[in-house]
Amino acid sequence: MRHSPFATLGLPERPDLDDETVRAAWLQIAAATHPDRPDGGDLTRYTQASAAYGELRTPWGRSEAYADLVEAARRQGRFDDHPGRDPGTEPSTEPLPTVPGAAPPPAPPSQPLLNLAWLPSRIARGRPGRLLIRAAIAAGLSLVVLALVPGQPAALADVGGLVVWFVLTGRKDLAPPPER
Amino acid sequence: MSVWAWIRLTACLWLLRKAIKVFTWLLVAVAVLAAWPLTLVTLGGYLAAWSRGWPPARLGRAAAWALSATGIWLLVSAVPLRSWHASALGPGREWEHGWPHLTALTAARTFVLFAPVTIPAGLALAALAWAWRNYSITTGLGGITASAPITFDSRQWRRQVRTAQGLTDAPGAVPLLARGGKMPVGGTIRAIGHRWHPVFTLPASACARHMVIVGSTGSGKTNLMIRLWAGWFTATSGRARAGRGNRPLLVVLDCKGGRDARRKADRTRRLLYGAGARRVAVWPDEARLSLWDLPAQDLAVLLYQMIDTGTGNAAYYADILQAVLILAVTAPGGPPANASAFLDRLDARWLQHAWSDGRHPAQLARAQAAAKHLPDIQLRFATLLDRLGPALDGPGQLTDADAWYFILEGTREPSVAQAQAMALTELAAHAATSTCGAPRDMLLAADDYSAVSGRVPLSNLYERGRSLGIGVQVSAQSWQGLGATEDERYRIAATADGGIFVLRTPYPEPLTQLAGTRRVLETAHKLIGNSWRNEGTTRQQRASTADPDLIRRLDVGQACYIHRGAATFVQVARPKASPLTLLPPPALTEPVPRIPDPRHEPAPEAWPTSRDLDDIFGSGATQ
Repeated sequence: MRHSPFATLGLPERPDLDDETVRAAWLQIAAATHPDRPDGGDLTRYTQASAAYGELRTPWGRSEAYADLVEAARRQGRFDDHPGRDPGTEPSTEPLPTVPGAAPPPAPPSQPLLNLAWLPSRIARGRPGRLLIRAAIAAGLSLVVLALVPGQPAALADVGGLVVWFVLTGRKDLAPPPER
Repeated sequence: MSVWAWIRLTACLWLLRKAIKVFTWLLVAVAVLAAWPLTLVTLGGYLAAWSRGWPPARLGRAAAWALSATGIWLLVSAVPLRSWHASALGPGREWEHGWPHLTALTAARTFVLFAPVTIPAGLALAALAWAWRNYSITTGLGGITASAPITFDSRQWRRQVRTAQGLTDAPGAVPLLARGGKMPVGGTIRAIGHRWHPVFTLPASACARHMVIVGSTGSGKTNLMIRLWAGWFTATSGRARAGRGNRPLLVVLDCKGGRDARRKADRTRRLLYGAGARRVAVWPDEARLSLWDLPAQDLAVLLYQMIDTGTGNAAYYADILQAVLILAVTAPGGPPANASAFLDRLDARWLQHAWSDGRHPAQLARAQAAAKHLPDIQLRFATLLDRLGPALDGPGQLTDADAWYFILEGTREPSVAQAQAMALTELAAHAATSTCGAPRDMLLAADDYSAVSGRVPLSNLYERGRSLGIGVQVSAQSWQGLGATEDERYRIAATADGGIFVLRTPYPEPLTQLAGTRRVLETAHKLIGNSWRNEGTTRQQRASTADPDLIRRLDVGQACYIHRGAATFVQVARPKASPLTLLPPPALTEPVPRIPDPRHEPAPEAWPTSRDLDDIFGSGATQ
C-alpha cells in the first residue's frame, strides 16, 4: 500500500492545510533526520519526508494527494473511515468525500439518529455559552412554573412551550451539520 | 328655535359625544385591566416587534408556535376530565377566584395558569396591532407629524438591519445549505412582495439558471458570490450523493486577476473543501488545461477567433487564415496534441504531405495555394500561443476537478485575457456537451466579465449557457459593466431568470425597474398656518418595489434580490463551512521528532607532549 505523505510528515489528512503548516512539519523532520547530523541522521526518513513535502508543497498537490488517499480507501472498501486511518481503531465521525466517477454511496440508514450523534460536536463548535444561557432561562422558568402551579395541566403546557422556545431559538447557536 | 335652545342642544350633543367616547375608553381600559395577562403578552409582543423591526408575520408565526402549548394544555386537562368544555372553563374559574386576593404571588400564578392561552392570543393580537401601526404610519393616517412615515421607515430600517446582522452572526442560522436543498443567503432585512422569512434562502435551481450580480467595489459582491458558489456546490453534490442528480462542476472566471484574485481563489478553495469538494484547481498558477482536447472543428474555429482579423481588404487574409487552420487542425491523423505540434503543421511541406494521400485532392490544392502565406500565419500563432503561456497546453481536463478557479489578467493583459476567456468558455461548453464520462451539472460564474468581453460579449456567453443547459452567473461593478450597449445590458438583466442581486451601486435604476412598481397610499395633510391639521387627501400611487435610493445607501454586505416583480433586502452572511466537515487530526502512530539540541563538537584531544612523542618516535626525535 502506498504510504500517505500526510502521515509521513505527521500531518492530519485534510486538503485544506496551509503552506506554512506543511513547511513547518517538513523542517522539523528534516532537522531531526538530516544526514549531516553528528549521529548520521536517518537518510531513509529524510528522503521520505522530502518526497512527501515535494508532494504536499502546493494546495493543488495536497488536494491531489488527499484525493488519491480517498480513492485508495474506497478501493479497499474502507467506506466507514477516512483514508490513512486503520479501520476499527476508532469509530468514524466524519463522512467520506465522494470519488469522481464512482457510484454515490448509499444514504445513511437513519438520518435522525445520525443528527443526534452530531449534536455534542455541534454544540461544542457553536455558541455553547448562549445555548447554556437559553437552557438556564428555560429551566429556571420551568421550575418557577412547577412551583407556582404544581400538578396543574397548565404547568405541563407551559413547560412544553418553554421547551419549544428553547429548541426553536437554540438551533441557530449550534454549528451547522457537516458539509452544510 | 331660540338661540339659547340651540346653544343648549349643541352643548348637549357635544357632551353626549364626549361621554360616549369616555365610556368607550373606560370600557377598553376595564377590558385591558380585566384581561391583564393577555394585555401583558400583547404589549410585550408589540414592543419586541417595534424594537427589533420584525414584520407582523414574525409575531404571527410566534403565535402559531405558541399554540403547541395550548394543544398540550387542552390534551392534558381534557384527558382526566373527559370533557373539553370543563377543561376549558378551569382557568376561568381560577381567574375569577383569584381577583379578591390579588397579590404578586397570585398574579404570577394566574399568569402561569393562563399562559397556554394568553401567549398565542396575545402574540396574535400584537401582530394585528403592529400590522395596523405599520399600515397607519405608511399611509399617513398615524403619527403626530407629517414626516412620521419617513422617520418611522428609517428607524425601522436600522432596527431590521440590526436584527438581520444578529442573525447572520449566529453560527447555525445561515449555513451553506438549508433544508430542502435551499441555499441560505443571509438574514432578511425587508421583504417587499416576497414572503418574509428570517433567513433568506434561494433554491439551488436559481443558480442553475442565469443570475446577475451588480455591485460596486467594496460592496460585498465577492462574499455573496462565494456564498452562492459554495451553496450551489453543496446542494448539487448532496443531490448527487443521494443519487438524484449529477456531480457538480463549478467553473469560475475571475476576469480581473491580480493579487486579489489569488486571495479570492484561496478563500473559495478552502470553503469548497469544507463543502465537500475534493479537487479545486486554480488556473494558471497550479493547474493546466489542454486546449487541444477540443473537437477538431471547434478547435479550428476557436483558433481562428483568437486571432485579430480585420475587415475590408484584410478579410481576404482572414479567409486564407481560416482555410489554413481548418487544413492544419482537421488533417488526417487527428488534431494536434499540443502547441508545438500545431505550429509544426503550419508548414507547406507538412500540410501537403498530410493531405497527399490521394483521397483529398481539394484539400491538397488548398494547401498548395496557401503555401506562401504559411510562414506569416505560423509567426502569428507562435506569438499568440507564446503570449497565452503553457497553461492551456495541457495536460488536464475540466472534468478532472470539482471546481476550477480561472484567473485571467484582464486588467494587466486584456488581449491575452480575452483570448484565454474565449478558450476557457469553449472548453466549458465542450465539457457541458461531452458524452465522455459521467454528465456534470455545471455553473459558469464570470466575475467582472466586462474586463474580457471584447471578443465574446456577455450576452453571447449567456445565450450559449442557456442553450447548453448550464447555469451562468455574471457579475459587474455597474449597470454599464454588463454590456457594451443599452440593448445588450437590458437583454442580460431581463433574462436573468435566477434573479438579480443588486448591491450598493450609484446607478441602480435600470435594474430596479425590472422589479416593477407596487400600489401605495399617499396621504397629503392640509397645512393651515404653520401646522398640519387633520384634513387632507389620500390617493393611490405607484412606488418602486425596489427603492433605488435605498439601494444607493446600502451598507457593505447588504443586497437587494429582485425576482418576479418583488424584492428582498438581505444582509449577506459571510460564508463559512461547517467546522464539523473537516476531518479531525488522526492519532499519530509515532511521536513527532524532537528538534535536536545544538550540535556540540567533541573537544579535540590534547596535543601530545614531548614525552609522549618520545614514546612513539624514540628519544630525541622532538629535539
